[in-house]
Amino acid sequence: MHTFPRPREERLYVDREPVARTCEECGGSDVRAYRVLSEGGWWNVVKCQECLHSLERTPAPALGSYVPLGTTV
Amino acid sequence: MFGVDVGGTFTDVVAIRDGKVEVTKVPSSRIDPAGSVVEGARRLGVADSAVFNHASTMGLNAVLERRLPKVAFLTTEGFRDVLDRGTVHRPLDAQTDPAWRRTFGDAARPLVPRYLRRGVRERKTADGGTLIPLDEAQARHELEILKRCDVEGVAICLINAYVDAEHEIRLRELVREVLGADVPVSISSETSPLAKEYERASTTVIDVIMKLLFSDYAAQLDRDLGGLGFGGQLNFADCAANLLPWEEALERPFRILFAGPAAGTLSSVHLGQAIGRTNILCADVGGTSTDVSIIVDGKPFVQNTFEIEHDLIINALSTEVSSVGAGGGSLVTVSTSGGILVGPGSAGAEPGPACYGRGGTQPTVTDAVLLMGILDPKGFAGGEFELDADAARRAFESLDTPVPFDERVRTTYRLAVAHMAEEILNVAVRHGVDIREFSLMAYGAAGGMLLPSALDLLPLKEVIIPPHPGLFSALGLLSSDQVYYESESAYVVFGPDSAEHINAVYDRMEARLREHLGPIADGLPVRRSFDGRLVGQGWETPFVQIPDGPITSESIQAVIGAFHDAYEARNGNRFDMIPVEGVTYRVEIVVPAEKVDYAPSDEVEPFPAAPGGTLALEFVGPEPIQAEWFDRASLTTGATVTGPAVIREELSTTYVAPGQRAVIGRVGEIIISTHSEEVAR
Repeated sequence: MHTFPRPREERLYVDREPVARTCEECGGSDVRAYRVLSEGGWWNVVKCQECLHSLERTPAPALGSYVPLGTTV
Repeated sequence: MFGVDVGGTFTDVVAIRDGKVEVTKVPSSRIDPAGSVVEGARRLGVADSAVFNHASTMGLNAVLERRLPKVAFLTTEGFRDVLDRGTVHRPLDAQTDPAWRRTFGDAARPLVPRYLRRGVRERKTADGGTLIPLDEAQARHELEILKRCDVEGVAICLINAYVDAEHEIRLRELVREVLGADVPVSISSETSPLAKEYERASTTVIDVIMKLLFSDYAAQLDRDLGGLGFGGQLNFADCAANLLPWEEALERPFRILFAGPAAGTLSSVHLGQAIGRTNILCADVGGTSTDVSIIVDGKPFVQNTFEIEHDLIINALSTEVSSVGAGGGSLVTVSTSGGILVGPGSAGAEPGPACYGRGGTQPTVTDAVLLMGILDPKGFAGGEFELDADAARRAFESLDTPVPFDERVRTTYRLAVAHMAEEILNVAVRHGVDIREFSLMAYGAAGGMLLPSALDLLPLKEVIIPPHPGLFSALGLLSSDQVYYESESAYVVFGPDSAEHINAVYDRMEARLREHLGPIADGLPVRRSFDGRLVGQGWETPFVQIPDGPITSESIQAVIGAFHDAYEARNGNRFDMIPVEGVTYRVEIVVPAEKVDYAPSDEVEPFPAAPGGTLALEFVGPEPIQAEWFDRASLTTGATVTGPAVIREELSTTYVAPGQRAVIGRVGEIIISTHSEEVAR
């Protein structure tokens, strides 16, 4: 039995948080932070939405928001 | 005639004037790469030279080290990760390694960073139709972004553009409108109009990178050589060491990425012809690595693609060369269990081996050879600098290992030779040849002092040290012809119905090539070949030669027969009942060029050579042994040297081990063998 409701969104998406920075490559000001799945796993990125240059790119936890108990004790 | 081989460490310059070979070595410069070439030309006097043939690893090193200009990559929307995907092959040692990543992927070391790889809305179908017209507004938007990012060059590779180039040509016009007419652009339909989008894309990207790296360099070279009074033809060598006039080379410069090693192979072919050797394994011992190639029946093994690094593939005709990380500068290290390891790390040119006295503290193979007494500390590199034996000794003493000192040195030498011998054997096995029928051509400045000892490990017929071994690759640039080729892809199953279509493809390519070459191609024959496969196969058998004459519904059977013969020669079996499909078609025109002339002297009965003196060799056996040394310049045809012995020359040293015998051949080559009977010359 499902314990969650049927999703209403037509597509899956992640929120892209605006970041007050300027892209050093193209000079664009629409810079956002979000998580992407890429080669090597999940990454937290800060990317220019104009040219898609990654201003920051840091590995995200492999299991997302889930933190195994064993890693905290 | 001038031949110049620009390596990472040294620029080798060879000049042939009135049949006499003159050589010099100039340190290569990263800051001013053309400067070392011009300096070499100045030293030997280039003014009266007719040709100046040039090969450089500058582009290859820039790609390997990712010292690249900022280029963009435009492709069909949805395909921008084609460069990351590669052919999806994993190397054998990574099959079970979950952490393995391609070295050129987006997360590692991309040729083009992902944000500069942009998708353009368009789509051509495989039969040349238009599924989606080129969206010029969207393309302009992407180009505006690239303009803001200050890209220096653009590579364009659209899906199926090898069938119809319309969209690529229009996109190039848009690039020039938006980014400027002086921005170099390479389009795949001109660079490498072949099927398989990944190889086409990577070749196009390398092409635009090479345009940026070489255009200023070549123009400067042409200008500076002109300043020295040179009025002849400046040629660049391609990946198979064939020559191209420099302006021609820069039209599709991906072809000149990897020229040095192929030049050594071609040099071996040419020398082999002069001394009657047609089956040769070639080993070029450099500072960092040893490059091994093979010549069977007088022909080098040419392939239609090559890998710069794993899965980074270029569609260029190239001589097959495999490398092993063992050379004169290979570092000696200690394993976790305390054993001696040699390579693959190298001391490079700076600081170089410890004995160079330039700050290197780790021992290398060169240090070991110096301590053994093979190298003359005062006569190294033509006496340009003196080697420091004490520094070499200290470097070996500093190793943290229980292995005794003498065993450290001895093992270093033996391991270096063993690594090279293993690669030589690998190449022979891969080509299915009997190593006993092959001569080993050993060159590179360190080739003569290491590779004769491979006779103890491999049942080779003999080891040949050519004249001027340290500059033998540069000499290969004076052993080559100008070769021009065109290629095109079309998937066609061969049969009487398709003969006309195939003939039309060849006629078109030949007309294009002749028009491009103009009068120099008049009267020269065209060589035709194709890469084909049995229907259903996913890989091709390359370089199937097409018989002369037009391809008609009658003569197509001879073409199909030629494929089955080539398939059998390569794979050992044939399947006459399976239809043949052509994939890539090629035409080639060879324009003969002036070459180095090895004039064999008359046969002479072998006679003992007169030694220059004696020396003590250490670490060869348990006790030091006495050996004779010889000056190569004084050895004439028929002179025989019995090991242990050392043969010295200006830029190289040859070591004849105990139990070996060396005879000077008819063009001055040293033929070393372990046979007790008369050495065949």
